[in-house]
Amino acid sequence: MRLLAASLTALAALALPGTAMAQSTTATAGPFPVTGNVPGLCSGGTLSNANSSFALGVLIDTATGLRRTDLAAPPKILTGAFCTVRSNISISATALQSVNNIAAPGAGFSRTVHYTASASGWTTTPATFATGSASNPGSSQERSTAFQGDISVGIGSFSTGGGEGLRLVADTAYQGIVTVTLAVAN
Amino acid sequence: MRAPILFAILAAGLPAAASAQSNTNVRTLSVDANVPRACAIGAPQLAAGAQINFRGLNGTTLQIDRMVDPTTLATNAASVDVTFEAICNLPHRIRLETQNNGLWQTSEVTPARVEGFGFAIPYRARLDWADDSLQLNADAQVRRITDSSLFVNQSRMGDIRLRLEIDAGASNNRANAPILAGFYGDTLRITLEPQQ
Repeated sequence: MRLLAASLTALAALALPGTAMAQSTTATAGPFPVTGNVPGLCSGGTLSNANSSFALGVLIDTATGLRRTDLAAPPKILTGAFCTVRSNISISATALQSVNNIAAPGAGFSRTVHYTASASGWTTTPATFATGSASNPGSSQERSTAFQGDISVGIGSFSTGGGEGLRLVADTAYQGIVTVTLAVAN
Repeated sequence: MRAPILFAILAAGLPAAASAQSNTNVRTLSVDANVPRACAIGAPQLAAGAQINFRGLNGTTLQIDRMVDPTTLATNAASVDVTFEAICNLPHRIRLETQNNGLWQTSEVTPARVEGFGFAIPYRARLDWADDSLQLNADAQVRRITDSSLFVNQSRMGDIRLRLEIDAGASNNRANAPILAGFYGDTLRITLEPQQ
């Protein structure tokens, strides 16, 4: 036992001088860079009342067959829309057309109602799209800063396809589509 | 020394993922409406230069000027054209109906018949509705409702033209029979009926 104890002591004695030598200089690791990112992110918000239909009701004056001049529908609100970077808002729409009665209308009749759809609240100039127009340069608008807010989508400026003197053919369903796109700007 | 190398690789990888992300949000809304079935007929208008022996149109009443010849008491010829602005925004049926099937005395009590005299006057009615037309022969043989109709397999707008013709000497007796004194009349109805 005395011999073993002596041996352990000797080992300890050998090891200690080594530790003493490592403390003699300064070792540095790093710097370790900590990086992250926030990707461009857009959310189109939530449609108020979960009702995605502009319900216009009866399109014509039943005494004359001509399009009503007082057509209107409340705007739809996309609440809580946001974009974390520069963004584009664009809008497109298709004209109201009879769904079931798709035959070519007779002389003096039409199955199309044009309108203008707009998305406002996101950009200074609302994005607008007229279904009867050959080009719609204002249908896409850019916002240079991140933003959070509501987008109001509305329709108006109705006109009868082919001319205001035309009557609309009967159909229980006329339908058009409005599409609003909110995207990270390139 | 390995740890810093690993950090560097991760840091280089994340921005690449961010730049590949394309974030686009689309919201689709529908615009819905309907156009009910509608047929309408406007007020009658006298066609210019197309009346013979009629006084004209008073509201919706056409009055014959001289119904009989004052010397023979036989019926005078008369004719008139009336137009109605009309529209039907779907296939429809156009119907022409007479209340009396001829011009009959308007008194509720039918006068006693007198041998040799006429007591009702026949006439012809014709309706033109664009390319279609229908005829109704109110022969005054029996006092009853008579009608004629045709189907139009399309929506249509324009003028309905009604022409009434009374032949000279027409009566429900023999030709040129004298007509009993009294007020004579008939009521015509034009109907546009949606057919879908």
